[in-house]
Amino acid sequence: MNVQSAANRSFSRRGFLGLTAAAASVPLLAACGGGSASQGGGGAGGTLKFWDMPWATPAYNDAAKKIAEGFSGANSKATYQIIQWNNFYQTFSSAIASKTGPAVSTGGGFQAFQFEQQGQIAYADKVIEKLKSNGQFDDFLPGVLEPFKTDKGYVAVPWQLDMRPLWYRKSLFEKAGVEVPKDWASLLEAGKKLKTIGAFGFATGSGAGNNIGNHSMILMMINNGGGVFTKDGQLDVMNDRNVEAIEYMLELVSNGIIDPAAVSYTTDNLNAQWKDGKAAFGPYVLGVPERVGDTSGDIVVASPIAGPHGDKTALVFPNNIMMYTNTPSQDASEEFLVYYLGQLKNLWQQKLMNALPVFKSITELPEFTSDANNVKVVNEYVPIAKTFASQGTALSADLAALDGGQALNQFTQTVLTGKTDAKSALQAFETGLKSVLKK
Amino acid sequence: MSSTTAPSGLARARKGLAPGGSGGGARNRKSKLSAQTSRTFFWLLLPSVILLVLIHGYPLFQAGVQATHDGNLIQTGDFVGIENFQQVLASPAFWKAAQFTLLFTIVGVFGSWAVGLGLALLLRTKIPAGGTFKVLLLLPWVVPIVVSSTAWNWLVATPDSLIPSIFRNLGLGTPLFLADPTLAAVTVMIFKVWVSFPFMMMMTSAALASVDSTVYEAANMDGASRFQQFTQITLPLIARSTYISWILMTIFCVNDFPTIYLLTGGGPVDATTSLVVLAYRTVFQDFATGPGVAIAFLMTITLVIVSVILYRQIRKSSVE
Repeated sequence: MNVQSAANRSFSRRGFLGLTAAAASVPLLAACGGGSASQGGGGAGGTLKFWDMPWATPAYNDAAKKIAEGFSGANSKATYQIIQWNNFYQTFSSAIASKTGPAVSTGGGFQAFQFEQQGQIAYADKVIEKLKSNGQFDDFLPGVLEPFKTDKGYVAVPWQLDMRPLWYRKSLFEKAGVEVPKDWASLLEAGKKLKTIGAFGFATGSGAGNNIGNHSMILMMINNGGGVFTKDGQLDVMNDRNVEAIEYMLELVSNGIIDPAAVSYTTDNLNAQWKDGKAAFGPYVLGVPERVGDTSGDIVVASPIAGPHGDKTALVFPNNIMMYTNTPSQDASEEFLVYYLGQLKNLWQQKLMNALPVFKSITELPEFTSDANNVKVVNEYVPIAKTFASQGTALSADLAALDGGQALNQFTQTVLTGKTDAKSALQAFETGLKSVLKK
Repeated sequence: MSSTTAPSGLARARKGLAPGGSGGGARNRKSKLSAQTSRTFFWLLLPSVILLVLIHGYPLFQAGVQATHDGNLIQTGDFVGIENFQQVLASPAFWKAAQFTLLFTIVGVFGSWAVGLGLALLLRTKIPAGGTFKVLLLLPWVVPIVVSSTAWNWLVATPDSLIPSIFRNLGLGTPLFLADPTLAAVTVMIFKVWVSFPFMMMMTSAALASVDSTVYEAANMDGASRFQQFTQITLPLIARSTYISWILMTIFCVNDFPTIYLLTGGGPVDATTSLVVLAYRTVFQDFATGPGVAIAFLMTITLVIVSVILYRQIRKSSVE
């Protein structure tokens, strides 16, 4: 018997199978090895995970990363990770469920309320106390903090305002020989004249991934003193003001003041309409000139328009930073949030933001006031702005299902196709919302 | 003198038995070897089977849990039995999406097959630069769907896009390809055929290459027309490959999310919402996890049934 055969014999089939099983189990054991850092909640310190969204150009995320990684309070450091908007809720949910989520994050406008409902949010009351003691609390613009206050505490802290101002292209109004609208009646008349020069008097869109159409509908409802919710948060879709607002939108559609193809417009299509001089007037996000690539000064913010009963309201989404219960140290999370809010001005000083700041001091920075559109939005829109909560002030998890949900999108598209009447469209909208909000 | 006769010896030899032996020992040895081999195979396969069960079984189990509970992506919620399935099956949106999915699949499978077959037959003829054409024809399949959907959007989305402009210049009006519900459904289906025909072309080309050319020579000698050769020889001989490509394309169409979602988002007014888009929107836009997963379950069951039917057709065609 030679050495080779002895080796063969000792390396039996059973042994081979054992090795194979051991090798196969390595990834399984690794997978079962549990999550990363963020367990606990005491005050031990550690590395905090901060997740942020691509709120603007990549330069924004670079600057935000620098700020986050500059944190060194409460014996802790912070890491920075960008989370893409595509499937962001799934990304957060999966990470939170597997205990690998962030300790602090930005995110969807109503995300904090959704996760609060599921017991995953750490209330920010102590952060608010710290902001009071360091003077930042008094620096908040009026009314921006209230939507986040619930019976149990502050669910999140706002850091920027995503406004939906009305924009217009000056040259098109001059060409049509018509004044910029001040109310619904003048918008209708201006729209008819703009149509004669091939321009649309109310630019919007509700194609794949474009929620400007949805926001246009809610904007017009609240601009008429209506809205989807009452002051105490009850669903109130079929009120007279909403019916009147949707009848008006249908009138814009039937008169060709809203582009008949708007129902399928993506944000790229809508940008092109603004850039190509087809869009004369309409609600959009902040920074339209930069967004569509026309900074000649021809595209500017209009003043808010009044509804037929004199109501004048704007639509705003207060974006926020939230803390999670799954953190290496709650003290560190709070320290980080206070630190981060204190550093926000850098982002506006570097002109990296396409949103309004929540702090008065930032709205007074020369880098911010150098843009007349920004100043106009702060002066004329912020004081009259309402959220999706409509007549109410408190935000809730229900608003997430309203904002991105099928009911609002289908309602918007139905109105934009013009093949409906206001009451039928609103009735279907209410039924759709009830089925989603029933729990 | 041996008692074994010549014929019986031959018979034993054919069975592989030794003279005078009963054959039991050899059979035992063979069956013993076979049992050992089976055990070896079993242990060798076990890690892969465990991995497969974990990869496929665990998510399926979790989906089953979610479909029968009133929860969300983080919390399981309360057990509600088949309530989510009942809710889904009672919803007009589900049946509208099912109807669109059926139409989308039929057009997607047979449209892409017809175009693919036609081009595969064309490429068998001696045309100049056939190889280049083959590569160019693969582009719709090769180009990322995000790129091609964006390109199609720019071709048809606005009244001033290229295709509507051509229609207008021809005096055919200005069709709103993505804004009109019927036209949007047609556009999405044409887009699907455009994206998928290269796959069908490749499958059919491979099948056609395996058909013996002497069969056609014999048919020619028998006086069969080109059409008869196509229907009586070509199609039956590539039937197996055709059924396989139909099964695959059916699965691709039913599960196709990006083609629809990137071009229309399921709109306008749900005109292009398929079941997979509806499931996605139900879970991630309405945050109704149970009903959304229930839709996915119903889709899976339907796909399994369709696949089994088509698989039987494959076996039938193999036997024939």
